[in-house]
Amino acid sequence: MSEVGASRASWNTYRDVEVSFKVNGKEVRVRVKPYERLLDVLRNKLGLLSVKEGCGRGECGSCVVIMNGKLIPTCLTLAVRAEGSEILTLEGIAPEGKLHAIQKALLDTYSMQCGFCFPGVIMASKYLLDKNPDPTEDEIRDALDGNICRCGSYLRFIKAVKLASKYIKEGKVFFDESEVLR
Amino acid sequence: MFRFDVYVPKDLRDALEAFKIYGEELVPIAGGTDLLVLYRQGMVRFKALLDLWSLRNELSYVKLEGGLVKIGALTTIDELSSSELLKDKRFAGLRDACKTFASPFIRSVATVGGNVGAAHPLSDITITLLTYDASVKVRSLEGERVVPLKSFFLDKRKTVKRPDELITEVFFSEPPNNASSAFIKLDRKVGHGMGYVAVGVYAELDGDVIKDVRIAFDSMGRAFPERALMTENALRGMELSERNVDKVVREVLPKEMGRISDYRASAEYRLHLSQVLLKRALLGVGRRVRGE
Ligand SMILES: Cc1cc2nc3c(=O)[nH]c(=O)nc-3n(C[C@H](O)[C@H](O)[C@H](O)COP(=O)(O)OP(=O)(O)OC[C@H]3O[C@@H](n4cnc5c(N)ncnc54)[C@H](O)[C@@H]3O)c2cc1C
Ligand code: FES
Ligand code: FES
Repeated sequence: MSEVGASRASWNTYRDVEVSFKVNGKEVRVRVKPYERLLDVLRNKLGLLSVKEGCGRGECGSCVVIMNGKLIPTCLTLAVRAEGSEILTLEGIAPEGKLHAIQKALLDTYSMQCGFCFPGVIMASKYLLDKNPDPTEDEIRDALDGNICRCGSYLRFIKAVKLASKYIKEGKVFFDESEVLR
Repeated sequence: MFRFDVYVPKDLRDALEAFKIYGEELVPIAGGTDLLVLYRQGMVRFKALLDLWSLRNELSYVKLEGGLVKIGALTTIDELSSSELLKDKRFAGLRDACKTFASPFIRSVATVGGNVGAAHPLSDITITLLTYDASVKVRSLEGERVVPLKSFFLDKRKTVKRPDELITEVFFSEPPNNASSAFIKLDRKVGHGMGYVAVGVYAELDGDVIKDVRIAFDSMGRAFPERALMTENALRGMELSERNVDKVVREVLPKEMGRISDYRASAEYRLHLSQVLLKRALLGVGRRVRGE
């Protein structure tokens, strides 16, 4: 039997568990509580502040990351489930100092208002474009329909994903900051 | 919110054995998209979770075997919707249910077994599985038993499953070629998932005649998905025409359906929607069977 944070003989042990996984290409090893959410571990223990808590109940999409190739809500994922996995957060989608085509396209379309929803929107868009480089408008709407943007940039997101798809098809996946900062 | 332990079993046997140690304080978790929301709202209590994710290599599949369509309890909504088997028109309703299910990131973790285990009215896969007259396979250390899905629920969040039993599979007979299905949900916002009213319809046609039909709603009065048996009886043997469907939907369905009023919709509106959506679903199934 493999136990995680549980002792057979007694209750209320809540022992820390050591969890190893890869995040943004780097091997990490952290001690987590059995009841901790992946969201809190990524944010508080690993300092990945792009992972945001909006609703904490699967309804807003601001906490999503790509884990083993799947877009998942980290607010509804136990941290112990990360064991042996590969996780990609916004911090890892482009090399240091560069921006991903999706980020560039979001800037080009003036999509950002407060930007709180951006990490989730970008990860959901990347998840879509990785599988489907040339999505239709309906496919884009479907891919982003779990991401709530309180500022209401939805229509610009659609334009941005189309533009990002164009950049990527042209072979331009990463951009220098000098190419985008205005 | 309270603290809890997590037990990660190495296989199904190990998972079942864990109940011997932890007893009823151990609660299974699959995708967690139902359970962890309830946990956060303070609506469930447990001392430890049994993490079923490690059983995915055993219990995630969609396959046809000996005339039965079998779906492993840990199959995610994503996996169900992309399964080759369900591409066929006979399973169109299951595809509808997957397509309108929550959002992409919920679909990648929510499971079929969890949808049944949630025992909640707004359980889209469960509603559709009822129209296929599916059965649920549950396992404990004492062995396996099979419970028809239509007698699985006792109340909202209450099922006939004992706390030491795990759902391992749902299965149903392979439908004949003259069959198809549909699922329609009316929702305030796409992606949120919980509709006001949801209906599933399965029908077998003989030419234009309804040879067999099964209808399930999110609720018929009690707070879990159920079949509309009187309406099914009235339709069986009838010609599938707009006029006939209209008549049955107006005259028979209200006799057996009880709807509630709450902050989201009134009972009258819910009944009206149920009638309209059922009609739409039935006529849609007709078109699907005929390949239109
Ligand atoms: C934002 C959001 C949107 C949603 N939208 C929809 C929607 O559109 N349609 C819909 O139908 N549902 C929806 N849901 C509800 C939920 O996603 C589904 O009920 C889902 O199928 C639950 O599966 P799960 O694997 O996450 O279950 P879990 O939360 O892991 O478990 C649910 C219950 O079943 C039990 N259980 C799970 N697996 C087993 C097993 N193998 N054996 C024994 N018991 C088991 C658990 O103990 C628990 O009581 C939504 C939820 C959220 C958060
Ligand atoms: S915080 Fe996870 S979906 Fe809203
Ligand atoms: S830009 Fe403010 S929430 Fe989306």
